[in-house]
Amino acid sequence: MIDYRVRFRTNLVIAACGLAAFAVVPFVANSGLLFLAGLVAINIVFGLSWNFLFSGVGLLSFGHAMFFAGGAYGMALITRHVPEMPFLLALVLGAACGGLIALVFGVVALRRASGVYFAVLTLAFSELIHILITKTTFLGRNDGLTGIPRPVIELGFGTLNLTSATAYYYFIIIAMTLVAVMMWCFQNAPAGRLLQAIRQDQMRTAFLGTPIQGWQLTAFVISGTVAAFCGAVMVPFTQIASPEIAYWTVSTQPILFTLLGGAGHFWGPAVGAILFGAIDYGTRTMHGLSEITVGVLLLAVVLIIPGGLLGLLKRRRAAASKSTRAETAGERTSETEAGK
Amino acid sequence: MTRIMEARAMHKSYGQVKVLEDVSFDLEEGEAHVVIGPNGAGKTTLFRCLSGETRINSGTIMLNGQDVTGLAGWQRVQRGIGRSFQVARIFQDMSAFENLIVAIETRERNEKGIWASFGHIAPRRAVMDEAERLVHELGLEGTLDDPAGTLSHGDKKRLELAMSLALRPKVLMLDEPTAGMSPSDRSEAVRLISDVRARYGLTLLLTEHDMEVVFGLATRLTVLHHGAIIASGEPHKVRADARVREVYLGQH
Repeated sequence: MIDYRVRFRTNLVIAACGLAAFAVVPFVANSGLLFLAGLVAINIVFGLSWNFLFSGVGLLSFGHAMFFAGGAYGMALITRHVPEMPFLLALVLGAACGGLIALVFGVVALRRASGVYFAVLTLAFSELIHILITKTTFLGRNDGLTGIPRPVIELGFGTLNLTSATAYYYFIIIAMTLVAVMMWCFQNAPAGRLLQAIRQDQMRTAFLGTPIQGWQLTAFVISGTVAAFCGAVMVPFTQIASPEIAYWTVSTQPILFTLLGGAGHFWGPAVGAILFGAIDYGTRTMHGLSEITVGVLLLAVVLIIPGGLLGLLKRRRAAASKSTRAETAGERTSETEAGK
Repeated sequence: MTRIMEARAMHKSYGQVKVLEDVSFDLEEGEAHVVIGPNGAGKTTLFRCLSGETRINSGTIMLNGQDVTGLAGWQRVQRGIGRSFQVARIFQDMSAFENLIVAIETRERNEKGIWASFGHIAPRRAVMDEAERLVHELGLEGTLDDPAGTLSHGDKKRLELAMSLALRPKVLMLDEPTAGMSPSDRSEAVRLISDVRARYGLTLLLTEHDMEVVFGLATRLTVLHHGAIIASGEPHKVRADARVREVYLGQH
């Protein structure tokens, strides 16, 4: 039987180890690497939000950039036009922008389409938002919204100054860890189990008395909100919201992370995002090499280890435990033979 | 006896093909009503229409005195229907135990409201206990932790039955519950179904092919032929009906 407590503790330890590893970065790396690490931390949760939809409820999104950009632009607009708003509230509102986009799009698309058709619709809608951004003066057209300041948070008993890149980096990794743990908890709550049931057999779930579309929409909105939260957190870090983050290549990123790391495991996208960041860093001096490396790696993963890196690890472990079990069984039989 | 389900003048066609024509169908509380008929007679379509998997073109369906004609399947399930499928539908990648937990949690969600679905990372103790009770009742002890997709055909059917029972339905609808089973599994299944029916005080609606199963379970028999009901009543009377013998039983 599954020991739920042990499983929870294990995953909490994984999250804590990840946080600790990221927390060390400022002590050992230069500012360029620190910047990259911050983006990787954001990408991890961005990837988790995509896989929440894909492996969690069985919806394929090719347009996650629209949520990410929605959060980023929402945050940038609030910071520029309502600078007196508390930072954390602004983040929440930024995330809500993505949730709202997901709600509007989901209500229309989920009623009409499923499977590949749904995926193509997300791509089309995401492109529409990209074009809207580049054509709207209010949103800075092709230049984006620049000069977003990093916040100083009033805590009542004191202030938390996040204006330096390092300080804000720590804010990022803590916020991302919290969101990741919350997502894990949600996926293991009864609601998450239900979404998993919907992925595996919609008809059966419906005939247990569950409105499928309502739950799919809920999952879609949650995924969009989390993706938008990632975008909103990123904006003060990079200090710019540019139209590139709404481009379709951004939508492909969480898919790449998930395929590299393994869709069947909760932390798969995290492994993929870190690997992706490492490749980006290793090939930064040679323009174009990063894309080639990622492409070749993706091809290799899909063809050779379809379950991704964590899928490979899982299989290895299963095979190892099987062989040890076989060995002990073998020993036992030889013992009994010796006993005879 | 009260009438738990009442369908009047149902018509159903797929494109040009008329499958059900002016079918009226009753289900009395506590009975075990079996629908039989040759292949293509419309049994499965009738089953789908009553359960809400597909909508009828005209006619009405009442459940417990409420009009459910326009309601989707999940809404009818919330009003007291539980159903199985001809090829057992279960959650393949989950363990058999988790399949049951999903079913029980779904019932709790419908009873207690949506907030029961959040805030805890393990199934509640009461849910686990209930799942274990169902496991024992249906003899699934040996297969608890296996992915449900790897279960044997018969175990899948039993698991699906257990999931339907977890919903505590008033009406249990089984679409060919013994399809694809060996004769010994079949009599085992009949025994299990009649046990469950007695213990839970269920009203049963079945479609079936196998005559042994039909006469082993039925308290009422309805014969469907070319999308119309040609006889309905107590099994031995229907069996004696001349027309029924001609179109169906005579072939055996």
